[in-house]
Amino acid sequence: MNGTWRLAGVGLILAAMLGVLGLRLWAIQVTETDEYTAVAERNLIRVVPTPAPRGDIFDRNGELLAGTETSLAAVVDMGLVEDDFAAELAQRLSAFVGDPEQTAGVILERFEKANSGAQIIIAKDLTEQQALTLIEHREDFPGVAVIPQPVRSYPLGDLAAQVLGYIGKPSKADLERPEVKGTDVVGKAGVERSYDGALRGTEGIIKYQVDANRSVLQSLGEQEAAPGDNLILTIDSGVQAQLQESLKAGLELSRDLEMAQRREALAQDSIPTRLFLAREAAQLEAERAQIKADAAVAAAAADPENDGLAAEAEEAVAAAEEAAGSVEIDEGDVLGSLYPGLPIDQNGVCVPIQRIDLDVGSATVLSGVKERMMKLHSVREDRSQRIALVEVDGERFEVEKGDRFATTLRVMAVDSDGIVVSHSDTWCPVRSVGVVENPKDGSIIAMASYPSFEPSAFVNGLTQAQWESLGTINAFTNFAIQGQYAPASTFKAISYVLALEEGIYPMDRPVDDRLVDEGNKPAGGETPPSGEDGGNGSTTTTTLAPDALKPLTSDTDLYNCTGSLRFEFNDGSSQVYRDWKRNGHGPLDLHGALQASCDLYFWEIALRIWNERSDENGINNEDLWQQWARSFGFGTETGIDLPFEKPGLIPDRQWFREEQRKETGRVRANGPWVGGDLMNAVVGQGTVLVTPLQLANGFSAMINGGTLWKPRVVQELVDQSGETVDENPKTVLATIDLSPGTSPALRRDMQMVVNGPIGTARKAFANFGPNVSTVGGKTGTAEIIKAVEDVQEVDTAWFVGIAPVLSPDYVVTVVVERGGSGGRVAAPVARQVLQYLVNGEDAVTPIVAGAEAD
Amino acid sequence: MAMTQERTQISLLRRDRQLRPDLFLIIPYLILTGLGLVMIYSASAPRLEALGVSPTREVEQQAAFVLIGIMAFGIVSLIDTRIVRWWVPITYIASIGTLVMVLSPLGTVVKGAQRWIQFGPVRFQPAEIAKLAVILALAALLSAAARPMKWHRVVQAVALVALPSALIFLQPDLGTMLTFGFIAGVMIFVAGATWRQMAALIVAGIVGTVGVFQAGAIKAYQITRLTAFLDETGDVLGAQYNQYQSQIAIGTGGLFGKGLFQGTQTNLRFVPEQSSDFIFTAVGEQLGFVGSLLVIVLFGIIIWRVLVAAANARDRFGQLVATGIAALLGFHVFVNIGMTVRVMPVTGLPLPFMSSGGTVFVAMSVALGLAHSVWMRRSPLPGEIQSEAP
Repeated sequence: MNGTWRLAGVGLILAAMLGVLGLRLWAIQVTETDEYTAVAERNLIRVVPTPAPRGDIFDRNGELLAGTETSLAAVVDMGLVEDDFAAELAQRLSAFVGDPEQTAGVILERFEKANSGAQIIIAKDLTEQQALTLIEHREDFPGVAVIPQPVRSYPLGDLAAQVLGYIGKPSKADLERPEVKGTDVVGKAGVERSYDGALRGTEGIIKYQVDANRSVLQSLGEQEAAPGDNLILTIDSGVQAQLQESLKAGLELSRDLEMAQRREALAQDSIPTRLFLAREAAQLEAERAQIKADAAVAAAAADPENDGLAAEAEEAVAAAEEAAGSVEIDEGDVLGSLYPGLPIDQNGVCVPIQRIDLDVGSATVLSGVKERMMKLHSVREDRSQRIALVEVDGERFEVEKGDRFATTLRVMAVDSDGIVVSHSDTWCPVRSVGVVENPKDGSIIAMASYPSFEPSAFVNGLTQAQWESLGTINAFTNFAIQGQYAPASTFKAISYVLALEEGIYPMDRPVDDRLVDEGNKPAGGETPPSGEDGGNGSTTTTTLAPDALKPLTSDTDLYNCTGSLRFEFNDGSSQVYRDWKRNGHGPLDLHGALQASCDLYFWEIALRIWNERSDENGINNEDLWQQWARSFGFGTETGIDLPFEKPGLIPDRQWFREEQRKETGRVRANGPWVGGDLMNAVVGQGTVLVTPLQLANGFSAMINGGTLWKPRVVQELVDQSGETVDENPKTVLATIDLSPGTSPALRRDMQMVVNGPIGTARKAFANFGPNVSTVGGKTGTAEIIKAVEDVQEVDTAWFVGIAPVLSPDYVVTVVVERGGSGGRVAAPVARQVLQYLVNGEDAVTPIVAGAEAD
Repeated sequence: MAMTQERTQISLLRRDRQLRPDLFLIIPYLILTGLGLVMIYSASAPRLEALGVSPTREVEQQAAFVLIGIMAFGIVSLIDTRIVRWWVPITYIASIGTLVMVLSPLGTVVKGAQRWIQFGPVRFQPAEIAKLAVILALAALLSAAARPMKWHRVVQAVALVALPSALIFLQPDLGTMLTFGFIAGVMIFVAGATWRQMAALIVAGIVGTVGVFQAGAIKAYQITRLTAFLDETGDVLGAQYNQYQSQIAIGTGGLFGKGLFQGTQTNLRFVPEQSSDFIFTAVGEQLGFVGSLLVIVLFGIIIWRVLVAAANARDRFGQLVATGIAALLGFHVFVNIGMTVRVMPVTGLPLPFMSSGGTVFVAMSVALGLAHSVWMRRSPLPGEIQSEAP
């Protein structure tokens, strides 16, 4: 038939098409078959990790502090949600959960962001009823499963919160650990962090054969999860609870005392005694902030990879800008209130407020403290000078440039250009911190700082407001190891040990050498401000007659403490120093000096070290005192098994120079390291910084004959059956070669601080009850030296207690930040804890203020 | 073919012999059908078992259609295509009618497309029947075409195809539309179109396709589905999922396959639509390259036999019917298998004789029966006047 060639053409085309298929099949099935086989195997097997239960944390008596409970969660497997059903499912889930934040839109958005195959947790902590509903009406909620989820529980609430720490989502740094996945939780602080590796265990896996819907057909094998190890802490939950309670009571006590003092000052109209040169203060603060910002920026520039540094730099710059800025005010603006209250947040915690908006014009910021409102009435010109008229509850005061006000919220000053310069309230007692250590093995029996937090709050996630509120007051920070404070008179123990070991005692000063020195007030920044600032202008001062002086040679030789003294340094300068006790303690030996906390006695020791050894080249062993301080572990981290420990600081000439060179603003800008600096240091002032833990650990070594332990909060790790997996045995960091009599002498004198007639903690321990004679201690009152020296800052109160004195099992360290006098505020806190330790729970008596003492 | 005196004198006794069936065509047809049933069973049994129903349910249904289809093949083989020709206007109009009906509320929407019509318990796809009707109508139109073909004839042919195409497009069913285009092209060519006319048709086809795309008449998902196979690195869980899984399944088959009923990919339902559009995947996975090639060769033999029937057809109508059927089968096989191995887009054209589905099996069997009928009557019977269309 005609046209057969056309049919042949069609046949060729069709044959070619089939040929293409054949070639393609050859490529897929013969050449590349291995690749497809590999893909298919992945296709078929689904590996489901099974979380390892996190280890529990127990106290030393087996009390559960942190455990794991199972909660039921509603989880959506995105692989099972059909696209066209997602919106409907979101709608149903939203209605089911009933959480106003989880609207259908929110859930749908999460669906859309998720990969297919992702699992999204829609609701945690389902009730049994809810879980049953979901399971029974599975067809209404396709793709939703009820999955048991481990949830960290803290049955004792905030007990030892900062020691335990908390868990959360891993940070970038956490994710660099090979075992950590993005969906894990990791320890973020405390032992949850430092023992995260042991606690987390090893994840198990189950391999399933699945079909295209990821429905499980059968299990192909399982590798069981290895649960994390349990931790046994050295913490005793009973002592811990008592410590926390006492710290809270102590902070409230110091706050009450401060309130009372303010009320009294207000009644006497003596508020202006607290005024200070706000402008200078602000300037200085701005300069310091700028220096800090520059340093932070430089550090960040040197290490551009480090996000943390960059963030710090940013923060520092912002702080510097804020410090440099002033606030312009208008007539009628509310400046503050003279009501002598303290700003208390909703947690009952005292918060120094850093910022208020002055243009509020009303009481929003000053809510609750409306009494005695202060307003700017007007500004007038008076002979080229502008004078502001300020109204306080109807009364008007003329304010000139440089005048200042104390307010509840902060110290505020107005210059007559209508500019307010501000400074935060530094009188506010903000925090109390305590540590109880066993000086026989370095184990930590209790450790806390208040305000604290509930670790369980992290389990369900904190709200932004909660986070900020707790963040502002640093509730998450373990101040026992991260707080660095001037140790004050507690540090006299170092010089005490040094005196006994090195035989360095003060110069003998004949009583006849005393001279009356009228009105010769100290000047400049080198004099530590005295603890008591009375109005008495006339003081007794002893001048030195170097030729006539001989050093005392024994700890029992008497030294006549006259209250103030003109010290002459070997460089020819001299300086008048005053004891915290204006009229002196009278004649006392080393032991009396420690008991009464005589400043002069220990200054004399420093002076002798300085005058006999000061040497820029370091051949004369100038830093004898620093060596002793460092030997007891000060100035370096103790190495406790907790994260973020701070090292503290023991200053010396070299450090001083380094700080000057770096212009960190922590030391004078000009002049060398001088004898006055050493004298400041020996009484725990100036730039000396210690952590409460260091102080507890250092005292442990001083009273136990010289064994410096590595402190620890974890005793051992045990597996689920209770078998010990790993021990954290007591570890000696160093053995200090002390004379056999030194530790007993110190303990005896500490006993006398509590029990003796001149002891600074006598009053605080008056109602101790039985066995008070087995208790010892040392008070300390650190004076925060701020920018401006003529303003009295509230002191940091210290107490280090020991019991029983003959062979101590406990060293109790307490610090109340901005709390006032150690004897008055810190000693009563330690007293309660020691009552608990010595006489038992029922023997604890209510907290009362002790005596105002150094 | 010239009319000869000799032929008119052929003995009446030889008439039976001249109705000899083409076993080269029938045997591959039956093998493929049987293999199809086995594959449908292997692909559907695990799913049905999981649903808790009889694992043979789908294959039993299909077997019923297969019986109907084979019977239809036999019956149609015995009908002279010239008788069929009288019915062409009716089949064409009826087919257009069902295509309109499917778009009406009488049609049933399945997976986003309106392709079914329900008549009581019977549900059928008018598109499959329309393919046959179009082939017959084109054959009838073109068998009267002059050689070389006149332009108006080409236009008539295009118009004839365009009407059902437009209706199919509205369903939408791109695969069937393309099938119409291919069949029409092949038939117009065989009917004697000039090269110029063929070039014009191809250009018009391309322009028309582009125009449809440009006009936005094709929905986004269709474009995605059509172009997904070109994207090597694309979203294997989304648009490409079916083809990707299918390709994996076939790839794992290797040279000899995993063995019957050992196909993990198809059995575990990674491959969707496995017993209908993706039935070849089951072949590829279980029987390997050897089995796949066998299927292609069997299709090749069938198509060859149909083309041979066309070459030997007694009249132009029969020749063009057979040609259209060869084009129909070839296009379906190529697009369907090509889809499973990602050389063609997903268009939803079933694999003739193998994919599960009643309408398509019966329609394809009828088509093959028509071609077979052409073969069986390749020479005139005694007394018949061999006529050439004017």
